[in-house]
Parts: sequence; C-alpha cells; structure tokens
Amino acid sequence: MSALRVVMFGDVDAGKSTILGRLMLDCGYVPQAKIEEMERSSERRGVPMEYSFLLDAFQIERDQAITLDSSRIWLTTPNREIVFVDAPGHRELIRNLVSGASEVDAAVLVLSAEEGVTAQTRRQALFLRWFGFTSVLVAINKLDLFADPQSRYDERAAEADAFLRELELAPLAMIPVAAREGANLARPGDTTKWWRGRTLLAEIEALPTLRGDPDAPLRMVVQDVYRRGSTRWIVGRIDCGRITRGDALTFWPLRTTARVARIVRWPEDVESASAGAAVALELDERIFVDRGAVATHEDSGPTTGHSLYATLLWLGERPARAGTTLRMRLGARELAVTVARVEETFDPEDGRGRAAGEIVAGDVAAVTLIARETIAADPDLPSSSISRFILLDEGRVVAGGKVRALAAAARGEGATNVVAARSQVGRDERGARNGHRGYVFWLTGLPSSGKSTIAMRVERMLFDRGRHVYVLDGDTLRTSLNVDLGFTEEDRRENVRRTAALAGLFADAGIVVLTALISPYAADRESARSACSAKFAEIYVACDLATAERRDVKGHYRRARAGELERFTGITSPYEIPTSPDLVIETAHESVEASAAALAEFIERTIARSE
Amino acid sequence: MTRAQLPEDLEALESQSIYILREAFARVDNPAMLWSIGKDSTALLWMVRKAFLGEVPFPLVLLDTGMEFAEVYTFRDRLVREWKLPVINEICPPESGIDPSLPPAARHAARKTAGLRALLERERYRAVILGIRRDEQAIRAKERVFSPRSSDGSWDPQRQPPELWDYYSTEVPDGAHVRVHPLLHWTERDIWRYTQAEAIPFVPLYLARNGQRYRSLGESNITFPIRSDADTIEKIVAELATTREPERAGRAMDGESEDAFERLRAGGYM
Repeated sequence: MSALRVVMFGDVDAGKSTILGRLMLDCGYVPQAKIEEMERSSERRGVPMEYSFLLDAFQIERDQAITLDSSRIWLTTPNREIVFVDAPGHRELIRNLVSGASEVDAAVLVLSAEEGVTAQTRRQALFLRWFGFTSVLVAINKLDLFADPQSRYDERAAEADAFLRELELAPLAMIPVAAREGANLARPGDTTKWWRGRTLLAEIEALPTLRGDPDAPLRMVVQDVYRRGSTRWIVGRIDCGRITRGDALTFWPLRTTARVARIVRWPEDVESASAGAAVALELDERIFVDRGAVATHEDSGPTTGHSLYATLLWLGERPARAGTTLRMRLGARELAVTVARVEETFDPEDGRGRAAGEIVAGDVAAVTLIARETIAADPDLPSSSISRFILLDEGRVVAGGKVRALAAAARGEGATNVVAARSQVGRDERGARNGHRGYVFWLTGLPSSGKSTIAMRVERMLFDRGRHVYVLDGDTLRTSLNVDLGFTEEDRRENVRRTAALAGLFADAGIVVLTALISPYAADRESARSACSAKFAEIYVACDLATAERRDVKGHYRRARAGELERFTGITSPYEIPTSPDLVIETAHESVEASAAALAEFIERTIARSE
Repeated sequence: MTRAQLPEDLEALESQSIYILREAFARVDNPAMLWSIGKDSTALLWMVRKAFLGEVPFPLVLLDTGMEFAEVYTFRDRLVREWKLPVINEICPPESGIDPSLPPAARHAARKTAGLRALLERERYRAVILGIRRDEQAIRAKERVFSPRSSDGSWDPQRQPPELWDYYSTEVPDGAHVRVHPLLHWTERDIWRYTQAEAIPFVPLYLARNGQRYRSLGESNITFPIRSDADTIEKIVAELATTREPERAGRAMDGESEDAFERLRAGGYM
C-alpha cells in the first residue's frame, strides 16, 4: 500500500514540529546519536530539549526556533507507512507552506491551547478549504500548561468546532495532546488521562489515502512526443480513468481523434493502464498532437472556453488587479492570461466573499481570467491536472489556481480592454506579444494536389491554438486583387509577385500566412522568397499527376484534356518541381489529416524559433 | 522480457519519477544527469531508460575524485559497456583548492562540488538531474523537486520557489541551473525493494561480507562500513525495517559539526 501523506498545519508556535519530533522519538525512530546531538544543540542555544530540531535542520531554524521551510519525515507503524509534511506557520512563509500541502491525503490542524484559534489559524484553514479538503483532524496542544486541562480542552474544542463548520471544514476528531511530554501522541499520557478517544497517531493511521480514480473519466496530459524510428510515441501520465488498447481518444483543445494502437510501459507492451501510470502511446493514425494536449475518451471531454472563472491563492509580492497580464501553466500548456476582473476575496473570519479591487499575498480570491487561446479545463474533476493551474509573473510563481467554470466569450469591459490594448502595440513588440513570429508558408504544387484543402485545415488548427493565421488562396485572389491577370507566363509571374508582396506585409504585421498558389516556376518562387526577406518557407505539396488528375476537384483536368483549357499546369503548361523545398508534403499517400498534422507541426517549430 | 507485476506502491513511485524526468527533458534545454554509481542513481538511471523508451537522451556525468572503491569503477565500466551509456567522466580538482575552513572529511567531499562547478561552467548545463532522497538527511528533506541554483551553484534554502501540485519551476536565469530530484519521494527501503523487483544491477559492496556492508557509498577514504549480516537484498530490506541508525552514518563528512552538511549543500554539494 502507498504511504499516507499528512500535512501539519497551524499557526507559528502551535507546536507542529515538536509534535512530529516527539512522535518520532516515542515510536523509537530516533537513534541515540541523534538524541544526543539534539540535546547538545538545545543546550548550546540555552533551551530545554527541543524535539523540533529533528525536523528543523537549518541553523537559522534552530537559532530562531521556527520552521522556515516545509520538511518531510517518514514513520512506519505496524499498521501504516506515513509521510508527514511539516509546514511553516508564518504568514510570510506561505509559499513554503503551500509547497508542502498540495500533494497530501490529509491534514492535521494544530492549535495551541494557550492561543486558541488565531487569525493565522483561520487563514490556514481557508487555504485547506481552497486546496479541496472537506475535513480535517484537529490536535489541541500544550494542555500540560493548564491546571485543568480538560476544561481548557472543552473550551478550545468548542471554539474550533464553530469556526471550522463556518468554513465547511468538518473536524474528524479533536484530539487533546501535550507534545513536550508526549501525552496522547503515540500513547495516552497524564495530562490527558481523562480522554476516552484515540491517540493522535491512532486517528492518523485510520485516515484513507487518496489516489487517482481509475473509474473517473480519462484524463492524460501529453508531456511530449518522442520519435523512435518511424514511430511517434505520445508520452504522459494518466491523471484519472483508464486507457485500453483500441480506445478512440480525443486530444483537446484541437479535438483531433485517433485510436490507441499500442500502450507501452517500456520495455513491455500492456493491454491497459490506469490512473497514476506513466505511459507511451502509439496511435493508429498520424494526427497533430503535441505537448499540452489532453487526451480523453470521446464522450467525456473537458469544458472549453476563453474566459475562466477561478479561485486563486495569491503568493506574489506585487498585488494583482484587473488588467494584470500573467503567464498561466495549465496541465502542460503555457499561455498568456489577463485578469479581467477581481470578483471577490474571501475573508478568513467567516469564509465569505467580499468585493475587492486587488489581491495581496495570502489572499484567497475569485477572479475572471481571459485567454486569447481556447482553453480546455476541468472545473469538476479534482484529480485532473487541468482542474488547477499556476500563474507566473516574470518567471516567478505568484499564484495557485482552481478552475471553477469556463465561458465561451469574455464578458463586458474585460474583453474590450484586451482588444484595445492589442491595437496599440508597436510592430516589433507584436512577435513577443503574440507568442510567435509572423511568417510566410508558401504552398506550391500541381492543381488538385491538395494545397487549399491542407492550408484551410491548418489555418483552423493554428487558429484554435491562438495563433494569428490567414490563408491567401490563389483562386480567391484571382477574384479580387488579381482579377486582371490571366495564365500566361508573365501574368503568372505578376500573380506570384503581388501575392508575395501581400504575404510579406501580413508577416510583418505578425501574422502566420499560408499561401495556396500553383506557382509553377522556380524563379518566381525564389523572387517570392526574397520579397518576404527571411520569413519564408517553401512547402512542396507533392502529388503525382495521375492522382491529381483522378481527384480533379474543379473538373479542370478533364477540360484541359478535352482541349477546353489552355496553359493548364501539368497538361499544357510546365510545373517546375522544387529542388530544395523547406518541407515536402506527400498527399498521394497520406490522409488530409496526416498532411495537415505534419505541416502544422513544421509551422509550430518555425514560428516558435527566435529570430 | 517480462517481469512479475511491480507492487502498486512502487509502480506509483516509479510513475512519478518518470513524470518528473519527462518534465525536465521537455522544459529545460541542455540537461545532464549525475551518476554516482550508487544504488539510488543507478535505480534512477533504470527509470531514465524507461522514461525515454530505452534511450538515455542526455549525458551521464561521473564526478571522479579518483578515490572511489575499485568495485565501483569495475561496475561503472561494465554498465557503460552493457547499456551503451553516454558518459562524461569528470576528474575533480585536488583538495588544495577547497575552502580550508570546512572540517577535513567535508573538504574531501567538497572536491565533488568543485568538479561539478567546473563542469557546469564548461558545458553550460541548464538542468542537473540527481538521485537524492528526502529521507536520507534532514537538510535534503527540505528540498524541492526542481531546485534552482545561482550561477555559482549555491543553494539559497530561504528563498525556494513554491512548488504546487506537479508544476515545477524551470525558469533559470542565464548562467544558472536547476537541480532536478526525481527520487525525492522515495525511501531507502523503496529503492531496495525496487532494485530487487526490477533486477537492477548494483555494486556488490552493499551486500554483507564478514559481518560488514556499506549502506551508503562515498569516497573510500571517508566512507565506513556498518555491522551487518545482510548478504541479500531481502535481508537488507528486513534490516531497514528495524534499524534505527541513519543511512549516512558511515559518511564521515556529515557528522563532523552540526552545520557541516548544510554548509556543503549551500555551497552546491549534491
């Protein structure tokens, strides 16, 4: 059975580290040499035997008798293997406290019988609630300092019970303890001899472990795609649910689908894998999947939208307010978001929301965030990685977030602000702001080779990923800009020249342009390349004449063969095959989906590269 | 090749480590892994091959003081040959260049820190993957899975970034690097159970001979064996269930002064 992970919460000086140090000692876990070292260390600092030194290993922690950073300590009892997370209580150390608390099965809230429920206790309980806990064990410590420990316990227990219930955090048990004398930690003690309930350790041993649920809907965040030989392996860890060979998977937010051909836990193939397992998948079709995609079964996907309602635990030194732009990491995706509105912050006194203009460190707050890309997230599936996120400001983590809801479009002034800001951005800043460079992808190939079909499909894919993308289609342009041009060699050259000039401007404006023109002459394509300076890639959409002619999308081949069309490329006009294209797409032998995936992947690599 | 089903708890630990390795590889340019040839980093190396489908996609660095046990060098050469490992053997600078205020054994150990620093300067690694565990030592118990280091390799434990859920900090300023610790959540006993279940090779010095075995392997001049009759992995696992002695009791550098290990680590030690 996996170890039970328990975090110790509570105000500074409530005795969290002392409880753990003493518990380890009472369970016989501390070697004699270590006890002697702790005695010497305590003596040197002029304090009585300090059990917390077992965990507070830093010199500065011992000198100041406080815990600065969270620690882990293992305890194996005859019944359970337990990992304790000792977290610091200071308000200034919240970042260290949350680092210990995000991956545990249960929480123990430690109260000092002297201090009772303090402001910091309330705040920490609010954090527990935010993390998703609905229940908590309470240890009421330092009862040895009172002549009548029982009545003191009764007072404190009633006080704690009232405030926890207000936060909808159910107290599983309220355990009286006296850590310094070891009373009621691992065994009963004098101070608590009136107590009829279990010891703290017995209560902890009875807690359940939480593990990813194999019966929940499937979620797997794609961490990477590895190429081994001709195989592409989709790798990731299953958050919840189960994958079985042959399953049809949908990858979000693009919603591409394919079946699972193989599941590998190297070096073995397996038939199925469930929550918690790190796997590599081979799909039966070559579709576009990359890091950050989320695999689900077809009928139980996540929610999508551009506007996200979330509760944040704010850690940043600078406050956040409407208009603050931050990086978000959601699953394995990273994207820009803007705080559209601070809805409310939650008051630790009663857990209720209050209107607020800004969020400061230590606040739990509800906000609306807006992204330009489509977000896929899970408001109601806590074991899914895309139910929670972190926010970064200049590379530093400033908040944790829980997704509560998603909406298709941003509401009110938030969206207007985003649009307005964008129109003010200068030309050189555009690339940085867009998250990609402007670039021209010049698709060339025979009539009916698939240029327009692939360009349109890729445009959709990139658009859904938040890219600024546009297709300049040869036929479409011939109805407007190039309406005066025919199909002579000269007109074809002019057609290419105008389109290249237009595409170059689009790229300067930060847009990813796909052109779909036959552009049969190598020399014209070279001119197009120089017209677009360095931001140009030639994509050869390769297809043999017989296949293209069989497709004959517009009936042109038939008419050319019948002599109805003059100067038709491939039949009565030459096509010069590119000698060194930047990418070749073979459309005769692969599906539109596979071709589009290959091109989208190439484009993503190209536009991500810095100049 | 098939093996018996791995126990559920070990499978969960393994999957978490593989997840961490894949995150490091996806998010940080130019990673490298330190392979001390001990039980932990060899088990980690085993998981690297699993994570990357049989490949080791980054260099494996050995910080060589020339003072390892002969058995360690023999084992290294065998595994490099059999697993075709991309190894860089980095010779560490002599003790004369080490901070003289450190206690004597810690000075020996600090040679590795100096070797690592020289290597980082030369190769510009942005991530260094290593097999330390939280249960080894109280200072290591406070480590993050992804732990940023400044450009001189030093660790500032007062200012560690928050680590929420499985979101690890990989933002590294120029010239600095991040330490990646995929085994932080394992215990010594887990490692041995896993080594046994997966039949991972290990240096035979860990098994008892004539009533003594090495529980932790360091340089031969500052590492001492413990009394033990555990001459099989089963017996090691049983021994660990009852022992109250710390794992690194045989490592002279840890106990020389109260702050010895903290100073070593703040200076960039593993």
